[in-house]
Amino acid sequence: MSNELKQFNRRTLLAGAAVGAGALALRPSAAFATGQTVTLADIGVGDPNGDWSGYEKATGNKVNLVSIGNGPSAVLNQLIAGGGRQTYDIINIVGGMQKPLVDNKLILPLDTSRLKNWQNNEYIASYFKPGSKGFDFIGYDGKVYGVPTILQGDSFAYLPEKTGGELNSYGALFDPKFRGYVALEDNYTTAGQKTALYLKAAGLVDIKDPSNMTKEEIKKVVDFLIQKKKEGQFRVVWSSFEQAVNLLVNQEVYVMDCWEPMVFAAKAKGVNAVYASPKEGYLLWAMAAYLVAGNRSPEKLEASYQLLDFMLSPEYGAVITNLRGYMTNPAAPEFASKSGKFDPATAKKIADIDASVKTKFQSGGTWQARWPSNIEAYEEEWQRFKAA
Amino acid sequence: MSASVKRRDLRAAVLLGVPVLLCALAIVVPLVLTLIISFWERQMIGMRPGFSMASYALFFEGARFSVLQRSFWVAISSTLLMLVCAYLVAYLITFRLPPSRTRIFLFLLSVPFLVNYVIRTFSWAYLLGRTGPVNQFLQRTGLTSQPIDWLLFSDFAVYLGLVAAYMPFMVYPIWLSLSAIDRRLIEASWMLGQPPLGTFLRVVLPLSLPGVFAAAIFGFVGAFGEVAVSQILGGVGYQLMGNAITSSLDVLNYPMAAAMSTVVVGCMLLLLLLWLRFFDLRLFLGKMLGR
Repeated sequence: MSNELKQFNRRTLLAGAAVGAGALALRPSAAFATGQTVTLADIGVGDPNGDWSGYEKATGNKVNLVSIGNGPSAVLNQLIAGGGRQTYDIINIVGGMQKPLVDNKLILPLDTSRLKNWQNNEYIASYFKPGSKGFDFIGYDGKVYGVPTILQGDSFAYLPEKTGGELNSYGALFDPKFRGYVALEDNYTTAGQKTALYLKAAGLVDIKDPSNMTKEEIKKVVDFLIQKKKEGQFRVVWSSFEQAVNLLVNQEVYVMDCWEPMVFAAKAKGVNAVYASPKEGYLLWAMAAYLVAGNRSPEKLEASYQLLDFMLSPEYGAVITNLRGYMTNPAAPEFASKSGKFDPATAKKIADIDASVKTKFQSGGTWQARWPSNIEAYEEEWQRFKAA
Repeated sequence: MSASVKRRDLRAAVLLGVPVLLCALAIVVPLVLTLIISFWERQMIGMRPGFSMASYALFFEGARFSVLQRSFWVAISSTLLMLVCAYLVAYLITFRLPPSRTRIFLFLLSVPFLVNYVIRTFSWAYLLGRTGPVNQFLQRTGLTSQPIDWLLFSDFAVYLGLVAAYMPFMVYPIWLSLSAIDRRLIEASWMLGQPPLGTFLRVVLPLSLPGVFAAAIFGFVGAFGEVAVSQILGGVGYQLMGNAITSSLDVLNYPMAAAMSTVVVGCMLLLLLLWLRFFDLRLFLGKMLGR
């Protein structure tokens, strides 16, 4: 081997080493977080129809998506008794239940400096500010635990042809005009809170905070619901997505406390259903992706952070907004229109959904309480309503 | 005692002992654990071992007790209803169908079970709804001018759902009992001058009671622990004990769920003991085993 060649090799080697060291210095652990498989437990909303290529190509890691129930007990059971701490790296569920998750050491606080998409996300800056009600959906005790993956404001649906026009108050759920044609969700943190919003706004019951009621307040709310139930106001209390969609599609009810995707599903089946803009405000909520506490290697942890960062990307956001109908990322509409990955109609749909949910957040409301302080009283009172 | 006899006894003990042990592990251990946990104290999302009657007190004082009362009433009345239907079907299969068609008819009874139980229940909701085929038919034929509301989300819908879900199970034991009756006894009754109704009441019915008893257990246990039918077809918060227990689990109130389950199991055991006093289960099992 000639000296020149030896020198070239040495130089190349040194240059290569310098580049490598530089890369390591920039992203200390990213360099070795390849070839990992991150297990993401999701309630079905965060699945981009199995296409994780954006994440996999960029990082060399893979995603193993598994299903998890959304009920608080289902999540906690899976993590505590079901071996979820060992199996799952990330859980993507409706946020707001950090208290039981943190108190039982089931999730880890996030180092948001490791998430480059966190820094310039205006939704996070606006809606999840520390100290705000929105922060309770991702944080606990001053620390951030969840990456907000989806944002939404809930109200109720109605069939305008049957109700005789626009409805703009939760009072429609209790209007004698629709007696026997109203359905509620079997969920005290949604139906209960919407009722509280109405009762407070109408001055019927003195409620300080509809999102976190005292035992006396939730009792008064349930007393009102029982009275309405006895009058025959409600047709049914629904408990699954399909059941709720069928109630609208079959015109079994005209006014229904429900989620907006149910209106999309009903419209897709040719039913003119409208999601109301109530004057009392929306019931705001967000999905959050949490890092599960467990024995993870630094490589696996880095791969998990990379996946969380991908879930904050405009690309992932655009896909999820298109598939699920929820607002995700402030840059998702622009990505959808400029990336060439979506046709113009789909890009417009994504922009419309984003604008619609943004309007809901701007018009205000209260954040849903997923784990209210008096959750046991809520449960007892809801039992009383159902059994009455 | 010879060595071969001893070996045979040992083999028999092992052969019987293993299943008995497995049964004990799978049935008795969870029941005992449920009983123990029902006395524990709820603590946030967890539990603290102890001896507290708090869950029982809350159960008997609160709204859940009315759910227990409703569950009993629904289970008893629906079981009686299902027994009448199942007996009629089993009687026709046994005494009116030619033997060559019996198998086909029994197979047809099992066809509904090829479809998922929840989907079957949902399909009832579609059929009985205000705009569903049943109401459409009633209006088109002029029998009603308005949709009938009580077809769905009512007691009627729950009873219909329960009958559809459990009645076919009840046909088999009754058919088994009826088909094991010695036909000569029926002929003797006829020859001694008993009319058909008298023969049925004094010969056929008493001899088929072990099957009726077994069928009643199938129906009662199913209806008492039902979750999906009440939830999908029952309407506003129509709850049976299964729903109330699930609801407690939703907020991780395990001691309460365990207390309710213990009360349910206790009630079942009591009923079973009462039934055993009136009916000899061995009669039925003996027939099944050919003894």
